Amino acid sequence: MRRFRFGLTARIVAVLVVLGVAVFPLYWMLVTALSSNGDLFAEQPRLTPDVGRFGVFVDALAEGKAAGWLLNSLLIAVGTMVLSVGLGIPLGYALSRFSFRGKAVLTVVLLFTQMLPEALMVVPLFALFRRFDLLDSLTGLVLVNSAFVLPIVALILKGAIDGIPKELEEAARADGGRPFTVLTRINVPLIAPSIAATAVIAFFHAWNEYVFAVTFIFDPELQPASVGIANFIGELGTPIQTVMAVAFLFTLPAVAFYLLAQKYVVSGMTAGAVKG
Amino acid sequence: MTVLEQTGAPKTTPRSGTRRRPSPLGSRWTPYLFLAPAALFILVFQAVPLVQEVYLSFTRTRLLNPTRSEWVGLENFNRIFGDPDFHRTLLITLVYVLACVVGAVGAGLVVALLLNKGFRGRGVARALVTVPWAAPGIAVALIATWMLNAQYGIVNRLLDAVGLGVPGGAILDSPRYALPAVLATTIWQLFPFTSVVLLSALQSVPQDLNEAATVDGAGRWATFRAVTWQVIKPTVGLLALLMTIWSLRRFELIWLMTKGGPVGATETLVTALYSQAFDSKELGSAAAIGMVGVVISLIIIAGSRLVARAVEKEEVR
Repeated sequence: MRRFRFGLTARIVAVLVVLGVAVFPLYWMLVTALSSNGDLFAEQPRLTPDVGRFGVFVDALAEGKAAGWLLNSLLIAVGTMVLSVGLGIPLGYALSRFSFRGKAVLTVVLLFTQMLPEALMVVPLFALFRRFDLLDSLTGLVLVNSAFVLPIVALILKGAIDGIPKELEEAARADGGRPFTVLTRINVPLIAPSIAATAVIAFFHAWNEYVFAVTFIFDPELQPASVGIANFIGELGTPIQTVMAVAFLFTLPAVAFYLLAQKYVVSGMTAGAVKG
Repeated sequence: MTVLEQTGAPKTTPRSGTRRRPSPLGSRWTPYLFLAPAALFILVFQAVPLVQEVYLSFTRTRLLNPTRSEWVGLENFNRIFGDPDFHRTLLITLVYVLACVVGAVGAGLVVALLLNKGFRGRGVARALVTVPWAAPGIAVALIATWMLNAQYGIVNRLLDAVGLGVPGGAILDSPRYALPAVLATTIWQLFPFTSVVLLSALQSVPQDLNEAATVDGAGRWATFRAVTWQVIKPTVGLLALLMTIWSLRRFELIWLMTKGGPVGATETLVTALYSQAFDSKELGSAAAIGMVGVVISLIIIAGSRLVARAVEKEEVR
């Protein structure tokens, strides 16, 4: 009996330690944002957030460029989400329901792209963007981010469509439904959870993207938050509280949405990767 | 209709006989209509640039004059393979990838086993543990840099408090401690993913087998190896492969924390290729470094499939 108790206590302690390690850095971001200079540089730093200093978030958005950065990130992310899911649904459908020449090659290409580092592709893409006047444009980032997240979106959606019984759409087709109508009326509603998961993945792929944004955007007005925040690192001009407040505002939506969609996102990520 | 994969039984319903059949040409082209826009996208933004990058790796091309390329054959590859700095980069990439795989899969497994038992608040615990994975890499690099700050960082304050402080405290500026710090940050961000995936694999471990083994007097470790490990082995293999591929292409976290420094202590293939392209402005050698990474990834993927096939055969026997 005593041994059992001990095991239970050890397990609870271990779980608490793991949770502490998992959450602490973001908690510390919040504490730093809400600390006074005195607290930050004191011998004993403040360990709990000073809720009274909540105004730092308002100030961070009102002054400086943070609000503009976050807006740019939002525009890029929404554009990428719409485009990649919009292209990924028909691609996933084609891969799931049809057999056609080149299907095996296409599948291998989709898997292969997932191992290409953005940093490798940035040079030829820079040349392409210059030729088509896509440098310094949010549209350009939407296009390239969509292309990079599209394979995983399509593979996840293919897996979801694989799971729908074919009889459903065969009945609809027998009633004279055209392929596109069958897809939008029958399949899309049934894979709604997977579509939501891929939307979250695509949105935050673009929200977090850094390499293309830092290379293709020169106009400070068009900078997304990933670049703005990265520029804080090693820079000394901005108060650390403002830096952390902006970073926290940037992080919060990502964490919140992943927690909401977690179940579907994780199964989707592995499903997309498994099919190798 | 005929292009539908596995059309199943032939259509015998009277309706299919009377309705207008789509023209055969129309059906044959249907899948291509669905995939054309996406395929075009991938062609323009991934396939063509990759081919250009392969070409660049055989040329001398400067960033400042990128349209003028001089074909030099294997010179870029000869040069990088003769460069001791590149040997160090390869070694550090290997250490980084291996440590990421072992660290992320190992930590993920421990956490998954911890969270697999039922207890009150398990749902909350499982949600909270995924936070690091959901956090944007940029934000992670920023908070890690601040926590590791030489003077005011909480990590140094804690290390000093227990008497383990690094002299001077500049962990990210130290050739000795920078790589472990970057690794710890990477693993911190990865372990939620591996643990959630392993947790769902653990759900399919038959509990009665575990109990039977325990009743038979098998110890915990023996039970784990005989029952649990057998069930989760394929998932562990898949995760190890995923962590390898992801770690071979990781850039932002390393770049923003250390830029590959100090003196190359955290330089992986990807940071090396980026500084070669944008600091040294040599697009040709940068592409060559990138190609080495791509080939390594391909070898690992091919190798893992061979191993998987061999294991399958072994199990059939």
